[in-house]
Amino acid sequence: MIELVLILISAVFVNNFVLARFLGICPFLGVSKKVETALGMGMAVIFVMTVASVVTWFIQRYILDYFGIEYLQTIAFILVIASLVQLVEMVLQKTSPVLYQSLGIFLPLITTNCAVLGVAVLNIQKGYGFIEAVVFALGASLGFTLAMVLFAGLRERIDLCPLPNSFRGAAVTLVTAGLLSLAFMGFAGLVKG
Amino acid sequence: MELKTFVGGLHPPDSKSRSAQKPIEQCPLPELLVIPASQHIGAPAEICVAVGDQVKKGQVIATAKGFVSVPIHASTSGEVVAVEPRPHPMGRNLPAVVIKPDGLDQWDDSLQGNNPDELDVDTLKKMICQAGIVGLGGATFPAHVKLSPPEGKTIDTLILNGVECEPYLTADHRLMLEECDQIIDGINILRKVLGISRAVIGIEANKPDAIAKMTAECAPHNIEVQALKVQYPQGAEKQLIDACTGRQVPSGGLPMDCGVVVQNVGTAAAISTAIRLGRPLVERIATVTGSAVAQPKNLRIAIGTPLQHLVDQCGGLTGTPGKIIMGGPMMGQAQLSLGVPAIRGTSGLLILREEEVSAKAAGPCIRCGRCVSVCPIHLQPTTIAAYARLSMFDETETCHALDCIECGCCTYICPATLPLVQSIRFAKGAIMEKKRKS
Amino acid sequence: MLAAVLSIGGIGFIAATALGIAAKKFAVEVDPRELAILEALPGANCGACGLPGCSGYAKGVVDGSIYPTLCTPGGSETIQAIANILGIEAAAVEPKVGIVACQGDNSKAANKYRYLGLQDCNAAQKLADGPKTCPSGCLGLGSCERACPFGAIEMTAENLAVINREKCTGCGKCVSVCPRQVIKIAPAEATVHVLCNSHDKGALVRKYCQIGCIACNICAKTVPDAYVIDKFLASANYEHIENAAAAIEKCPTKCIRDFSTGYPEGSSFLPPTIPAKTKAA
Repeated sequence: MIELVLILISAVFVNNFVLARFLGICPFLGVSKKVETALGMGMAVIFVMTVASVVTWFIQRYILDYFGIEYLQTIAFILVIASLVQLVEMVLQKTSPVLYQSLGIFLPLITTNCAVLGVAVLNIQKGYGFIEAVVFALGASLGFTLAMVLFAGLRERIDLCPLPNSFRGAAVTLVTAGLLSLAFMGFAGLVKG
Repeated sequence: MELKTFVGGLHPPDSKSRSAQKPIEQCPLPELLVIPASQHIGAPAEICVAVGDQVKKGQVIATAKGFVSVPIHASTSGEVVAVEPRPHPMGRNLPAVVIKPDGLDQWDDSLQGNNPDELDVDTLKKMICQAGIVGLGGATFPAHVKLSPPEGKTIDTLILNGVECEPYLTADHRLMLEECDQIIDGINILRKVLGISRAVIGIEANKPDAIAKMTAECAPHNIEVQALKVQYPQGAEKQLIDACTGRQVPSGGLPMDCGVVVQNVGTAAAISTAIRLGRPLVERIATVTGSAVAQPKNLRIAIGTPLQHLVDQCGGLTGTPGKIIMGGPMMGQAQLSLGVPAIRGTSGLLILREEEVSAKAAGPCIRCGRCVSVCPIHLQPTTIAAYARLSMFDETETCHALDCIECGCCTYICPATLPLVQSIRFAKGAIMEKKRKS
Repeated sequence: MLAAVLSIGGIGFIAATALGIAAKKFAVEVDPRELAILEALPGANCGACGLPGCSGYAKGVVDGSIYPTLCTPGGSETIQAIANILGIEAAAVEPKVGIVACQGDNSKAANKYRYLGLQDCNAAQKLADGPKTCPSGCLGLGSCERACPFGAIEMTAENLAVINREKCTGCGKCVSVCPRQVIKIAPAEATVHVLCNSHDKGALVRKYCQIGCIACNICAKTVPDAYVIDKFLASANYEHIENAAAAIEKCPTKCIRDFSTGYPEGSSFLPPTIPAKTKAA
């Protein structure tokens, strides 16, 4: 049990996917203009990452390992994750328009996101069991959401500041992202291992 | 007595000593009176006289249009010489009636005094409306509207505003010292109209003579006098209610939502005059002061007197005037010239010397948070202003920009001289416009 | 080898079948314009517009909740394509540009008071109708500059808005934010304009502005047809622009300007090398 808690905390804070592993930078910079959209994106990531890690864990265990074709891991995972997300999006759109409004529009953005693939691959590399894999995916996506929301909050405030022209837009965004990443480095050593 | 107050606010130098000890003087009539049709919050009155008409003092020259509106009366007897747009304290030309006084200052014969004890509540309200009584503190909200709470709202307290928290102004101060009886009579009429017995007069502690006088005079009438800490904006309606009763007016609400009606002491005196003598609101007391005025005075002025005439009565100007403000320095309105007339809301005329007027351009916000700590409504002025600057009006609404009372504390305290109140007012205008459209 | 081919092929087949079935079964009616716009967008899902991806942007543009010029990576071609899909400018056959009908900057037009408030024309206009004595001249606080999605407007050092005729697409965003209606949309091929917006009488205009139209009628006498005087203000008649330039020298207050020879004083814009725009940008 304590093991699972450690995995979770480690994935959220210490090895935050965005700010420490630098995975998923694209949506982190792209969809973080407003806290509202950042939160929606985060929720979508939580859902997709968890589902993807479940499915890929089974694919690895019962197909790739079974046939001894581990070298096809990347292509198989991408294939599965992409089609899975598309499928979920279509089902959502039809069955639950409300949920689709808040979550669904973000789904196409993360079909082939490196953070999602990263979770699937790391699960295998670390040799996690099924429960551990799910907890790790949950932690990674929670960490992603946390980073997104924090960053969006910062950007909303930066928008209000009279910045020098040369500093506006991407420049100040990247500097802020760097500072936020530095701040997260402070969690290093919180969890051993 | 313990001094009550509210949270927030500040204490600018009150500069009241220039005129605080000067008794009220009657200001002689000018050569021409310019009486604008728009002198109150709500729909402007509709002018009902034409050029060449002879009018008597107190005669209606513009009729009320709608519920939130009051009629306008001639301030003296004479001839109507023009009905045309004239410069208005609002900064643009607005319809006005120009009267050339005949020097007789004759009251309209039809105006009759009454004994308020013999009249019923509805008649009293009607008379208050017909006498054109508006809030004389400066906001000029029609008094009869405040006295007509909608169904389901119970009023239990009447608060009289004798705070006069704006620096420089001393008109209410002098009124409380010199016309105490009329104020008390007005309070009794107001209590009868509202059907309540509790009345509180709030007075700031920098007027000890007024507190002493009112306490002595009010004792037999069962009216409480509450001394309040010297703190701006103590005289703002919501802050005054908080200080006197400890009640909070809900966001977006009115004083009547917490069972209170607030009237200025000047309004109470005007109501007494309107009922007892039948005389409508054609004059008011205003303080003419400031470093550029040779002899600051408290004057009883006829509505429509040009500001230049007021200055002439006070010995003219000294030094180079830098800013002309109608009202107090915190919430008053800067004027383009002395050519505009004094209106019902003119509680004072403040003329500052050029060297006193700071004209620094706004710098960047240094996030010191002073505006946040002084805001009596507990808003974040700098955030709202930043959103307003970027035309992000939905965000200003979520920051409760509409609750701003525009007291000016944030602009006063801002070390970067940011135009915070103007920005918030701009945002409020945009939000209201959006609401009207949808 | 066979196992690899079969297993990946199998996964692919299953996924494809599932998606195919789902597409049929869970099909949802989408506004065709939304799909068309999505097609026209770069499809980078970069989020520069502040919305989640290109589909979110397409949706927002179609339901009108966002302005269709936020796609920076797509540039003006994308904006034009979207405009065509939405039919916004389908009617505009001839290209149009905005004109700031005022040359009264701080050095030439008088102010009635000193304004130190919020640097926004609409805010200034609320204070006694703006600091400028002229009731209809450019306030010069840059609201139009900030509203322009194409960066086509600049403010001169003396606070006058000037529109670049090459960058301007005639979208009219500036017109809607200007509190004084100083900006007019005119055919791009007309380069001669009377740059004044004041309907006050000549004597009054002379009092507050050195470069305002005083309605002296000289332009209309010099080139009949090309100028119309209406309520004390001359304006160029775009139907007959051929000889309009002849009146420029005659104008006593120099308020007529030919944009093909130069922009108003203080502007950094250079006159276009091609005399006038000939086709849609």
